[in-house]
Amino acid sequence: MSRQWLKVHLVWLAFLAAGIILSSVPLFVPEGYRLRLLALVFMWVALSGCWNLMSGYTGYIDFGPVAYFGVGSYSTAILMLKGGVPFLPSIFLSGLICAVLSLAIGLPTLRLQGAYFAIATFAVAEALKQGILEGDRLIGLEFFGGAHGLTLPPPPSEAYFYYLMLFFMGLVVGLTALLEKSKFGYGLRAIREAEQAAELSGVPTLKIKIKAYVLSSSLIGCLGGVEAYWLTYIIPDDVFNVLRTIQMVIMTLLGGMGTVLGPVIGASFLTLVSEYLGAKFVYDYLIFVGAVIIVVILLLPRGIMGTLWQGQRWNR
Amino acid sequence: MLLFLQALINGLLLGGIYASCSAGFSLAFGVMGVVNLSHGDFVMLGAFLTYWLFVLFGLNPFLALLPTLGFLFFLGFFIQRLAINRLVGAPPIMSYLLTFGLHLVLSNLALRIWTADYRALKTSYTGLTLNLGGLVFPYSRLATFALAMIMILGLYVLLYRMETGRAIRAVAQDREMARLMGVNILRIYALTFALAAGITGLAGGLISHTYVIYPQMGLQFTITAFCVVVLGGMGYIPGTLWGGIILGVLESLTTTYLTAGLSMALTFFLLLMMLILRPRGIFGKGVVEEI
Repeated sequence: MSRQWLKVHLVWLAFLAAGIILSSVPLFVPEGYRLRLLALVFMWVALSGCWNLMSGYTGYIDFGPVAYFGVGSYSTAILMLKGGVPFLPSIFLSGLICAVLSLAIGLPTLRLQGAYFAIATFAVAEALKQGILEGDRLIGLEFFGGAHGLTLPPPPSEAYFYYLMLFFMGLVVGLTALLEKSKFGYGLRAIREAEQAAELSGVPTLKIKIKAYVLSSSLIGCLGGVEAYWLTYIIPDDVFNVLRTIQMVIMTLLGGMGTVLGPVIGASFLTLVSEYLGAKFVYDYLIFVGAVIIVVILLLPRGIMGTLWQGQRWNR
Repeated sequence: MLLFLQALINGLLLGGIYASCSAGFSLAFGVMGVVNLSHGDFVMLGAFLTYWLFVLFGLNPFLALLPTLGFLFFLGFFIQRLAINRLVGAPPIMSYLLTFGLHLVLSNLALRIWTADYRALKTSYTGLTLNLGGLVFPYSRLATFALAMIMILGLYVLLYRMETGRAIRAVAQDREMARLMGVNILRIYALTFALAAGITGLAGGLISHTYVIYPQMGLQFTITAFCVVVLGGMGYIPGTLWGGIILGVLESLTTTYLTAGLSMALTFFLLLMMLILRPRGIFGKGVVEEI
């Protein structure tokens, strides 16, 4: 019994241990750059984890997750500034708003396939960005702040955001691990492998896709809210920046799509590389990232995790 | 009324350029199912090549279009041979990601080499216009529009009236069957992608005659190509002409009567509606990807 028990629970014990170790970091590391960098790594792990949950498992490539990041940022900012709502309820409500929005967007777009879904989600994100940029002029009110954006109230300590990002990272990674082994997770992978066959075998594909999309989008919305308060200043060109989408995709791809640890590895690696390389040589960093993508696609299309686990190339 | 007509003409001239920039995108998708996210960077490369040939060697920008076409043709051929051919039969996401990586490399290399400066081609005839009853037709835009139309016509003739075009269309319709009929698939793929890159570079060269160019302009043209091609029907070449013109006129009208920023939002809204309601394009002749 004990061996079997250990095998099943080892993953969760490791997860718990990592949580305890990471939670105690602020006790030893003083506030400042390092703590901030770690929180940034957690945020990107969580964001690419959300993308992985939807796109990595279903194979439906979402090119517009940044839409929910931006909407989450803006709704948190507006709730706090105009509604006087405290921060934590604000991010919760932002998650809810993104859930409703993603349901409305997912219902028509998730019927599209392949490139069409990717283009449609991309269009949604760009249209929302332009809408918020021009929104004030249309309704004739000072609401979104146009291209100047919004300034949020001063945030609490760095450690506060460290724990918040850690919580979201743990939530996303834990959820992915939990869902991977569930009926829902098998449904998602069935969609990726052969959607029609899955549908014929009685998997409610559209329903499952929408559930995964809404879950991933609302979590991204919460993270957008957290980042808005963390940085205290948001503009449409930043929170809706297509580069954010790209980062989520690439981090997941590098680590391995459709694996629990893929986004953790990919996001940690690329965030640290971008921090050390990107600060000094922005363009070199992007050239490097582009080259990494090309090499990964041509040589290890399953990503680092997938290659370690399965040690084979796709050949279909 | 005059304002409306002028906006319509501007939109039409813009639409021709859009169509010429998007034809290659449609071709690559229709034949190989490759969504080329580095498409816009071929436009950028074409534009810069024409610009430098003019600035450094004093080559007439219209004559410079020919070496531009040739260079991009070979670049496309090598990219196809070295990278994209390896992805034939792989899940479609692989081609998006690969071409996206290519986009990052090309656009940021260009930024490193040429800096983020905006550049414009200035010739002796740059500012000249033709006035017709109060309506303004800039000569250079008229000329680029005419060349864009000739280019699309040429592509149409190649695809629908020539043997190579028949082979390309056969591969697009049914890869296995075409192979059985003795068509060399990989050669056709390399040729198609080279052709797509070549005409895209040519269109970029045309753009450099009338618009400012900068290394990061590519992504914008990739997005435009998406919209145009979805409007006209993915993979249906004559559709790109109409898609481009609709998009150009729409943009010109919203910029004239509303604001420039909103024209983007409207474009994306139109794109989304098309995808949901008529994914095969306005004529219903596009292909819908099967996964």
